[in-house]
Amino acid sequence: MTDLLDFWIEHLPSLLDGLWVSLAVTGASLAFGIPLGLVLALAVQGKSKILRSLAITVVEVGRGAPALILLQFVYFGLPNAGLALDSFPSAVIALAWCTGAYTSEIIRAGLEAVPHGQREAATAIGLTGLDALRFVVLPQALRVSVPALLGFAILMLQASSLCFAIALPELVSQAYLIGSTTFRYMAILVLAGLLYAAICIPATIAVAALERRLGKHA
Amino acid sequence: MSQRASSSTDPRFAPLPPLLTLEAVGKTFGSHVVLDGIDLRLAPGEVVAIIGPSGSGKSTLLRCINQLEPPTSGRVTLGGTVIEAGHTPGRRELMNLRRAVGMVFQSFNLFPHLTVLRNVSIAQERVMKRSRAEADKISMQLLARVGLADKAQQYPSRCSGGQQQRIAIARALALEPQIMLFDEPTSALDPELGLEVLAVMRELAENGMTMIVVTHEMHFAEEVSDRVIIMADGKIVEQGVSRDVMRNPQTERARRFLHAVKDR
Repeated sequence: MTDLLDFWIEHLPSLLDGLWVSLAVTGASLAFGIPLGLVLALAVQGKSKILRSLAITVVEVGRGAPALILLQFVYFGLPNAGLALDSFPSAVIALAWCTGAYTSEIIRAGLEAVPHGQREAATAIGLTGLDALRFVVLPQALRVSVPALLGFAILMLQASSLCFAIALPELVSQAYLIGSTTFRYMAILVLAGLLYAAICIPATIAVAALERRLGKHA
Repeated sequence: MSQRASSSTDPRFAPLPPLLTLEAVGKTFGSHVVLDGIDLRLAPGEVVAIIGPSGSGKSTLLRCINQLEPPTSGRVTLGGTVIEAGHTPGRRELMNLRRAVGMVFQSFNLFPHLTVLRNVSIAQERVMKRSRAEADKISMQLLARVGLADKAQQYPSRCSGGQQQRIAIARALALEPQIMLFDEPTSALDPELGLEVLAVMRELAENGMTMIVVTHEMHFAEEVSDRVIIMADGKIVEQGVSRDVMRNPQTERARRFLHAVKDR
């Protein structure tokens, strides 16, 4: 047992480095992906046929293709088209795409949850379409969407482990590297799992609490 | 600059031109005719009640006036703004029209995520370009006028239905409209709460606000409005001075409706 603890303590710093990369890639993907999701949600609901079909295509590819394929497409595929990116920006592009596709559906549901009368009232008091969206519809839609978006963010942290496949030194890659030199895969993967859990479980509990709180005032 | 002030007719020297004119306004949804050639003129300061059975097109008529529903035929003229069916109105025309028309909905439609004060201030800031301080000051005056200054910092969900509807009236008044449209403003309220809303509406009417009120409140129609319009099947079946229409309707359709209402 002390042997296991010593092993964990010895390798914890490199795993924490990996965890930091995981959090950074997840954060960046969400920072680009959620605004993308909002734009896609608005485009899918919008009046322009061209924009709508374009948005639907982006959403359906993003949701239809496994995240691993998107990652490999950007990292290994795009260089064939003359665009070679490092693993971090590749990971952010692929995961932001995936995030945009999924969150656009979450946000769309939020937009549809805002009663039609709210838009009418905004129109009747003379607000422009953009102002109505900004001051009336979006604040209410996003409030509805927040718990689902945070839940999705937790899933994305877990999905960031797929970046292992494009040589990003995130948590799983680090664990794998340590495993391959020490041959103690079991021990190091358990520690990596514990680190994911240490973030995801409290985050899930916090989201549930937030959901109850928002639900009370809705 | 209000449209009334920019009118070339000086009201001191000429009879007042109608503030609102509807000419042959029609609305169809597919093959379903909701409004069939409605003509209506409203003088400034006039209060008109529209009554009639459900589905007669009363609410749609109101919604055609501020273009929440664009009419499929006819013409709406308000002040200097003319909107013809079939021609998509310009942004500026629509904005002018909506600024000149205040609307109060059956279900209040207050913004639940904003305080009562912000509900009343938002359009002043965004549409009239008032500063927040100025808008809030005017909002407080309006809330005091409807008797709810003490609710300014509350959220609408903390207010009763009657209070919410009075806030909605204050919100509509904030744009200094030339005409107020009320779409069954008391139908979602129990009778007691309805009374406080009717009191505010009566005060508005007495102070010269031009109003169209779609209502099932027969007493209000008879006592407060200058004119009553009875609608059925998308048409105006009878109109005239409130007391005459309510007590002595001339058409069979109006008689049948009033009879049914009074028998309750």
